[in-house]
Amino acid sequence: MAITAVRQLMGLPISVDLRDGTQREADMVFDWLHEVDLRFSPFRLDSEVTRLDEGRIGAEEISADLLHVLALCETYELRSGGAFKAKLPGRQLDPNAVVKGWAVQRAADLLRAAGLRRFCINAGGDVVTAGEPTDGEPWRVGIRHPDDSQRVCAVVGIRDGAVATSAAYERGNHIIDGRTGLPAFGLLSMTVYAPDLTTADATATAAFAMGIDGPEWAAQQPGCLVHAVDSNHRVFRSPELPVLS
Amino acid sequence: MRRAIPAIVATAVGFVLVWQYEPTMSTEQVALPSPNTVPALPPGSATQQPMPGTDSPGQARTVDGSAERNRHGVVQVQVTFTGQKITDVTFLQLPNSGPSRMAGPRLVQETLQAQSADVETVSGATQTSESYIKSLQSAIDAKGA
Repeated sequence: MAITAVRQLMGLPISVDLRDGTQREADMVFDWLHEVDLRFSPFRLDSEVTRLDEGRIGAEEISADLLHVLALCETYELRSGGAFKAKLPGRQLDPNAVVKGWAVQRAADLLRAAGLRRFCINAGGDVVTAGEPTDGEPWRVGIRHPDDSQRVCAVVGIRDGAVATSAAYERGNHIIDGRTGLPAFGLLSMTVYAPDLTTADATATAAFAMGIDGPEWAAQQPGCLVHAVDSNHRVFRSPELPVLS
Repeated sequence: MRRAIPAIVATAVGFVLVWQYEPTMSTEQVALPSPNTVPALPPGSATQQPMPGTDSPGQARTVDGSAERNRHGVVQVQVTFTGQKITDVTFLQLPNSGPSRMAGPRLVQETLQAQSADVETVSGATQTSESYIKSLQSAIDAKGA
């Protein structure tokens, strides 16, 4: 009654660790994320996002899910003072930063609805967990060290929650500060722990785009605790973050 | 060794003065500390001298320093010369957030650690070469448009 499975979907490695589930539930997660990729990828010519961006469908024709995602993008654009933008000038509409967190949170909701209570999904470094992997123990979620992919700089212990990290160490400085149109700078890594992955992922992305003002802003968002590494290799974190020794 | 102590103190004081300097104070006349006491200012910008013989004594002239990026942001100064003397320095650009602002009321500061801890999973900005290629391609496409 336990399974671990990994699949490459949405351009990301997705791992599913089900302590009280089977391959059937793992496939449910993968099927859903595959569907999301088909519908929301800005890289697919026939996705709903691409069709909307190119004006092949009108704003009134989009699905309730995409409407929800776009509303989330707008919310975080407003909250971050424009640092986070799904539509940058001269670029394709790219709600990916919000889509991933929302889709993986929805996958976790599907598992819960199927009766599972102990699981962990990791989608390209964004993590959502439920219950305990073993009795009395939280899920131990490492935060990757910004300079060393083989090490972690902190470990948080969580039960029902989500951890998302936004950083520039993998693809260079690819996150754009929507306020300037230039790559965001000031932070090496921005991690947010929140009750759900939709919140954690969007908040981490927006905070990273904001640069040095991001950590304090993220810590003010409802339900969010932060761990940030600035470009001077200093750590700033919420004192309440459940860091294990 | 003893003579080094006042120099270190002067350096520290100079750094703090520059760091706490606010653009709104730029209308005040300030004396420019000697270059080696101002780590935030790049050599060659604030210390730029006017061309000899081009200025008549007593006539003020302003020179913009180059915009220099340090780890806190962009610093650019404007220096006013009267003859061969620096009579004013103002900041055209200054990072609006210093180290002290990072550690706001909600956050504590720590040193970065590297551990090989036993964990169930790792949070990080994991990306694949596939997404890198897609991202690169989208940037190329956007540029061509």
